[in-house]
Amino acid sequence: MSIKKTLIATSLALMVAMPALAQSDFPTKPITYIIPFNAGGESDLSARFQQAEWKEHTGEDVIIQYQSGAGGAQAWSQLNSIPGDGYTIMGINLPHTVLQPMEGSVGYKTDELTPVNYFHYTPNAIFVTKDSEYKTLQDLIDYAKENPGAVTLAGSGAKSANNLGQLQFDELAGVKTTYIPFSGTGPSITAVLGSQTTAGFNYATSGANQGDAMRMLAVASEKRLPAFPDVPTFKELGLDIVGGAYRGVAVPDSASEEMRQKISDIVTEINQDPDFIKKMEDGGFVLTNIGYEQMPEFMKKMKAEYAKSAAALGIGN
Amino acid sequence: MELLGYFLDALTPFNLMLALMGVILGTVIGALPGLSATMAVAVLVPFTFTMEPASGLIALGAIYTGAIYGGAFAAILVNTPGTPSAIATTFDGYPMARRGEGGLAITLANLASVFGGLVGAIALLLLAPPLAKVALVFGPPEYFWLAVFGLTLISALSVGNTLKGLIGACLGLMLSMVGVAVVGGDVRYTFDVQAFLGGIDITSALIGLYCVPVILDLVSTRAAHLKVNADVAKGGLRLREAMGIAWRSKFNVVRSSVIGTVVGILPGAGGSIAGLVSYTEARRSSKNSANFGKGEPDGVIATEAANNATVGGGFIPTLVLGIPGTPPDAIILGALLVQGIKIGPRLFNDEAQVVYTFIFGLLIATVLMLPTGLLIGRYAYKSVVSFPKSLLVPTVAFMTVVGSFAIHSNIQDTQMMFGLGVMAWVLNRYGFAPSPIVLGLVLGQIAEQGFVQSYLIGNATGNISGMFFGRPISIGIIFAAILTLGYPFFTEWRARKREVQPLTERAMDAEAHPANLQPKSATPGAPRGLDAGAILLAVVFAALGIMAYVATDAMSPMGAVFPATISVLLVVFSIGLVIFALLRKGSPSDKGDPAASTTRRILLTIIFGLWVFLIPVLGFFVAGLAAFGTMMVLAEHESRPAKTWLIRAITAVAVVAGFWWMMADVLLLRMPMGLFF
Repeated sequence: MSIKKTLIATSLALMVAMPALAQSDFPTKPITYIIPFNAGGESDLSARFQQAEWKEHTGEDVIIQYQSGAGGAQAWSQLNSIPGDGYTIMGINLPHTVLQPMEGSVGYKTDELTPVNYFHYTPNAIFVTKDSEYKTLQDLIDYAKENPGAVTLAGSGAKSANNLGQLQFDELAGVKTTYIPFSGTGPSITAVLGSQTTAGFNYATSGANQGDAMRMLAVASEKRLPAFPDVPTFKELGLDIVGGAYRGVAVPDSASEEMRQKISDIVTEINQDPDFIKKMEDGGFVLTNIGYEQMPEFMKKMKAEYAKSAAALGIGN
Repeated sequence: MELLGYFLDALTPFNLMLALMGVILGTVIGALPGLSATMAVAVLVPFTFTMEPASGLIALGAIYTGAIYGGAFAAILVNTPGTPSAIATTFDGYPMARRGEGGLAITLANLASVFGGLVGAIALLLLAPPLAKVALVFGPPEYFWLAVFGLTLISALSVGNTLKGLIGACLGLMLSMVGVAVVGGDVRYTFDVQAFLGGIDITSALIGLYCVPVILDLVSTRAAHLKVNADVAKGGLRLREAMGIAWRSKFNVVRSSVIGTVVGILPGAGGSIAGLVSYTEARRSSKNSANFGKGEPDGVIATEAANNATVGGGFIPTLVLGIPGTPPDAIILGALLVQGIKIGPRLFNDEAQVVYTFIFGLLIATVLMLPTGLLIGRYAYKSVVSFPKSLLVPTVAFMTVVGSFAIHSNIQDTQMMFGLGVMAWVLNRYGFAPSPIVLGLVLGQIAEQGFVQSYLIGNATGNISGMFFGRPISIGIIFAAILTLGYPFFTEWRARKREVQPLTERAMDAEAHPANLQPKSATPGAPRGLDAGAILLAVVFAALGIMAYVATDAMSPMGAVFPATISVLLVVFSIGLVIFALLRKGSPSDKGDPAASTTRRILLTIIFGLWVFLIPVLGFFVAGLAAFGTMMVLAEHESRPAKTWLIRAITAVAVVAGFWWMMADVLLLRMPMGLFF
């Protein structure tokens, strides 16, 4: 970063941060931020983006720790045994924390977790290679209609956000595609790039890393993404698909109302940092700003939505 | 010449210092089982935010390459791969150390690692864009066949004992299925225990399967852990001799480095597969293949050259395609993004300065590994050799606990490690070696995912057989697998024709490996007794197989196909073993060293068990210190003056406190707190 940019960013950050700091004595020491996944994934990356700005906004560092296992369940099942003093927070994801407890005993229930801020989501998107014969989503739908089941879509994991998106796509477009689960975004994108599958149902963030080697046919966001102004949304194309994986921050249930609000405010504040916004948007993330006040309503909506999809996946019965 | 300019950029004092520190730190962390390159790289990422992107990358790359090399130390000295990449290093490295050639093994590992690392990095420098295409032509069927190829190594690892090896592999494959399946999403074989949901962690399983039996055998005898005579006589690390061996094995070194680079390019394969594949190839093409697994220097060379070559190889898809080849690559990719650097096909043009400075930094770090690796290796070897048993046993035990815990900050991994370790000791006693189990565990998921994905794609496109058998690279791998499987039979047939002693018999006569540390008690030619223990175990396995098969009923078709196949195989092999054993064919179990103290062994198991289950109650430090002290007393076979005990007690506190500090404050792990800390 150039000196000039640093100066501007710092002064901007200070202007935003000063009032918040003045009225609060929290935090006075580094906060531990647990990521329930391995390092290197989208959850880690977005937390790292936050980490880079964290000190400017709170005056203290944030320390990222990893506690992966069972698709996040390992960490979430232990969330409420952590002291609720606000100095330990945890990343939290949707649809994971709704779908996992539906499937069976995973050591926690959706309502036992306390998300205080969902700050972004990575919208689902359909990708093909740049040489693919499918230039538009309609091309792919037409082919899928003529050849039921023959279109293979690579995605990350079974019963995941990608899998949910693919099912929704099948239903709304009136086609039948075959979903091929891979053990993560990396392997599934590799399969798409290598033309092992017809296309991929992945996150839009992949589009940012692979440059023009892949073509994004449609993205499951409300509006077009700033980083991909030429890619239409599913909505524009007449398919009401909006969603992907949501990521946020949760606290132990013993945290006071005041503490929940404070953590939520820090996350919201970083969400307004121009540097942070630029990195996230360049990366294909979509910022959401769902703070603690809006949480009950948001969770209600999402749970209803996932309950519907879960039936299609054969979960919870 | 632009490249020269970038080379000079990499040579600034600051970058050189980063490379040096990175290699040292990486080697130390890699040497400790369970503390992985991924962890070290993740901890350092925030520090690189404030550096120039290229400098930050150099630091991270240096740590990564150092850690992969460091993994060899624990593999050679205590039979425990410090990282999964070093699995195959244990096959020959540990037997070498046992017979007093640990110093030579470490030096060979160092030379091979440096060479492999250079080949990988040079490939990254000169050939990255074309080589990246390798990652793309490898589809699900190729991954499936690659895993099958890896499994053929079992036939080599269990010469004269093939049925037991196959049963071990099936057990490993079953273990790999525990947890939530990637394909199908079924929850399999968790027995409703939440701890099993995440599956069995490979690294902690490795630590348990390889290291716990070593600890149990260590405590039971008076004999020193490693012989030292040969090394002492020839002066420590025997660099000159090692260079001679490496030079004679130059084809092995080059072939293994190339295999490592190519396998490294495949996202989803990684260092452990690279090591296993090149080990298999080295064994097949060697004149001394009977000596592999008994302390053959070429085995160490092949593995170590290959696994360090994966570092450079893994960066190829990371930097060219934006697809991380290995977990540390994924973190480094994230660090680049945080720096605001756009990854992807244009990176080599748009950010040439960053990329090339980094690659040269990686090359420099690899070269620096030569002196630093030898120095650290010398020190590690000396400590293991000179540590009295009463300190070595608790220290190694403590390291297994630290390592298995550190991976996910999860104490359940440690408990699983301990359980698997005790199981491995019992199984090994009856001739079921740990390596086939490990192979099954490591390759199981790759094989299953590749198989089911291939089947799904083949089914969708109406060409299942073409998917599996019609792709050129698949055919090549299948051919190599058949060659590996058939070659020993061919050489044996040829040997019998020429009336020389066939390979299988020579291999059985050679000093036994791996944890069959006991001298052969049965005199050759003595009548074979009934292998009652193995029969009993085989009956248990057959029952397990039947239960596992019944359980597939409740799974989705996608999730059931693999467990059903493997459980049927397990039943068939187990019944076969019972029949063979009743006919008194096959090799009998080793009865073990009669001088070994069973009481000490059982007591150690009890202390170890109490330890891993009391950590959540007492806290990591207190439980560790208590267990350390008790084991220290248990492992001492002589009476010692009070002063010795005082020194040892101080050492105990220092070791436990040192590790606690490193885990809690350096690696920033979440430490379990109980009543105390």
